[in-house]
Amino acid sequence: MERSELAKRVKKVVGKVLDVNPDEVSDDANFIFDLGADSAQSLELVASFEEEFDIEMDEDKALEVQNVEDAINFIGEYVD
Amino acid sequence: MATRAEVHQKNIQNIFYPESIAIVGTNKVKGTVPFDIVNNILKAEFNGVVFPVSPGERYIAGVKAYKYVTDIPDEVDLAILVFPSSVCHLALEQCGQKGIKSVIVISAGFKEVGGVGVEREKRIKQIAEKYDMSFIGPNCLGVINPDPKVRLNASFARRMPEDGSIGFLSQSGALCTAVLDYAYSRHIGFSKFVSFGNKADISEIDLLYYLRDDPRTKVILLYLEEVSDGKGLLEAAENVIRESGKPILVLKAGRTSKGAAAAASHTGSLAGSDEICDAGFEQAGMIRCDNLEEMFNKAIAFAYQPVPKSNRMAIITNAGGPGVLTTDAAIEGGLELADFSEETTKVLKKSLPKTANIKNPVDVIGDARADRYNVALSAAFKDDNVDSVCVILTPQSMTEIDLIAREVAKVSSHYDKPVFASFMGEADVAEGVDVLQRNRIPHYLLPESMARSLATVYQFKEYLKKKKKEVPALSDVDKEAAEKVLSEAKKEGRNYLPEAEAVKILQAYKLPVLKSKVAKNEEEAAQYAQEIGYPVVMKIMSDDVVHKSDIGGVVLNIENDQEAKDAYNSIMKKVKDHNPDAKIDGILVTQMVTSGEEVILGAKQDPSFKGVVMFGLGGIFVEVFKDVTFKVAPLSEDDAEKMLSEIRGSQILYGVRGQAPRDIAALKDAIVRLSKLVDDFPEIKELDINPMLVQEEGKGCYVADARILI
Repeated sequence: MERSELAKRVKKVVGKVLDVNPDEVSDDANFIFDLGADSAQSLELVASFEEEFDIEMDEDKALEVQNVEDAINFIGEYVD
Repeated sequence: MATRAEVHQKNIQNIFYPESIAIVGTNKVKGTVPFDIVNNILKAEFNGVVFPVSPGERYIAGVKAYKYVTDIPDEVDLAILVFPSSVCHLALEQCGQKGIKSVIVISAGFKEVGGVGVEREKRIKQIAEKYDMSFIGPNCLGVINPDPKVRLNASFARRMPEDGSIGFLSQSGALCTAVLDYAYSRHIGFSKFVSFGNKADISEIDLLYYLRDDPRTKVILLYLEEVSDGKGLLEAAENVIRESGKPILVLKAGRTSKGAAAAASHTGSLAGSDEICDAGFEQAGMIRCDNLEEMFNKAIAFAYQPVPKSNRMAIITNAGGPGVLTTDAAIEGGLELADFSEETTKVLKKSLPKTANIKNPVDVIGDARADRYNVALSAAFKDDNVDSVCVILTPQSMTEIDLIAREVAKVSSHYDKPVFASFMGEADVAEGVDVLQRNRIPHYLLPESMARSLATVYQFKEYLKKKKKEVPALSDVDKEAAEKVLSEAKKEGRNYLPEAEAVKILQAYKLPVLKSKVAKNEEEAAQYAQEIGYPVVMKIMSDDVVHKSDIGGVVLNIENDQEAKDAYNSIMKKVKDHNPDAKIDGILVTQMVTSGEEVILGAKQDPSFKGVVMFGLGGIFVEVFKDVTFKVAPLSEDDAEKMLSEIRGSQILYGVRGQAPRDIAALKDAIVRLSKLVDDFPEIKELDINPMLVQEEGKGCYVADARILI
């Protein structure tokens, strides 16, 4: 999958789960610090990424991912 | 450039007295720490402006929220971080950019969890240093300042305590909430209430110095789970106590080794050995308590009442037994029963029934109502021979509990003398106890606790009267000589220093080692023995001979020149017979001391208190009874004297059953010198002088054997 396509779909999920406009989500946005994710939303994000990309991620490692760019890279490893 | 400690002193003021607060990382979920902190600040009616910072919310608890702390248009005095630990560094960085200098990091997930948490803690510390910020925490409950000027409850404790004069500092957050509940039910108020958590930046030492200068704090309470900088803590505590006259009551968890292990896993730090803690706290003038109850019993004694002029107390009771129990505890604590003046005796005789005891302790008899207590209280307070008054009550059917409590409050308010009370029981006396507590009269469930608390106040007053101990400079020690021996051993990678080297080090510090010289031939042996003075011991010096006595390498009790020459030749022959290739450095001729009381002097490095000195009687006393005592180096002569007197067998040194007293002055000098040695050389991990032989008064003491581990 093209990186730009991957990024678009990641931001779409982020927008939906955290109730923010996907177009305003920057690559370096931190899920907690910039986007206000709490612990329940962090878990929801992981589940939603798995659903969106039809993948199964290592949950502990996925929860360590801090920002959008790192999420794109992390999901990219599973998608490829 | 200002030191961190100086930066902290500047910044701590805004932690307790901010005019504006940003709560960074809050949310709208009730019952969570991030929300409750905002809610508690608002509920306590904080005298200032509150700025919630929450990236996803427009408002929190009805107050406009900001996405970032840097978005806040006004100045912010204090930031409270409640973000998860993974992003605290981002929030702290922004606080630095915003110019906020004072921060409380409530969030957990730092050093106490190990691994990545340790790195996170280091990171926020570095950011604080970069911006000259100071923070309390992380991993803490927060800070409370009930001063009506600010009314700050920057914590997730359930309630704001009453305003008072007790400063409470705690390493444990959970304990804080239990303490607040305990204090609430007893109307105990606080001047400052701090949970300092992992103390990554601002430590208990900084807070002690702040409370020293806080005019609203009369007494300081400190709860510790581990002591990371013992030396610093003792120095700070002693300075605070001496300079402000405020007592520091300390409760330190980890009395047993199991308790210490639990504390270690809880806070991520190792607890120091408890005996050393005890010794150190006592040296610094801190008052160590065994439990929270004792701590608050003593705290209210200091906080509520004036200090007694001296130790003469009056006891007024309606029950004989409790009066005796109180007397026992009081006398044990250094108090005395006052001898009443003639006037007092006359008044009591005239006004109390014939069956009453008009002598101290005054027994107003079981059927006493408020009028009898009034007579006895007034007479006792008026009496110049009385410095303090203790009131005991047991609830009989006719006892006017509530009224008597009011009499205690009323009569005592006219005098500048302390009054303490023990209304014994629970349910029946509850109302009276409430009256006492509301009137700031220290109340105790048990009369013995009352007496002990009063005794502690008196003992502290006496402690303050004594001049601060002076640690002698000891300019006659040869530090370089000791350093040389140690560095040679280090260079050779040796951890163990044998007797000869240990003796050289002790000699450099003018410890009384036995006179000795190395002889290379029989003539020298006789000459040196004569110089040293008979009798002497001769001993082979060779690294190739391990068990010297077994092969005849040691000869004792040599009385004259001929015996010295014979011993020299005999030792040489036997060693060569045993090992013809042994490299022999000579024969050590040493002064022989046959008598003297055996004592043990030791030293070790403690992880938190550094150099520590141990003293005890030798032989069976140390082996079986473990009759030893510790003190943290360096020591003054007073400290050394105390060590000698505080072991159980001290009478043996001072002379008992016709035995002459030992040379106490020489022994004290040896202890002081040893303490300087371990203070100067932290690389000396363990040192044993065992035994040291103490001669009769004026005849000195001698190091008979010594070993050093580095």
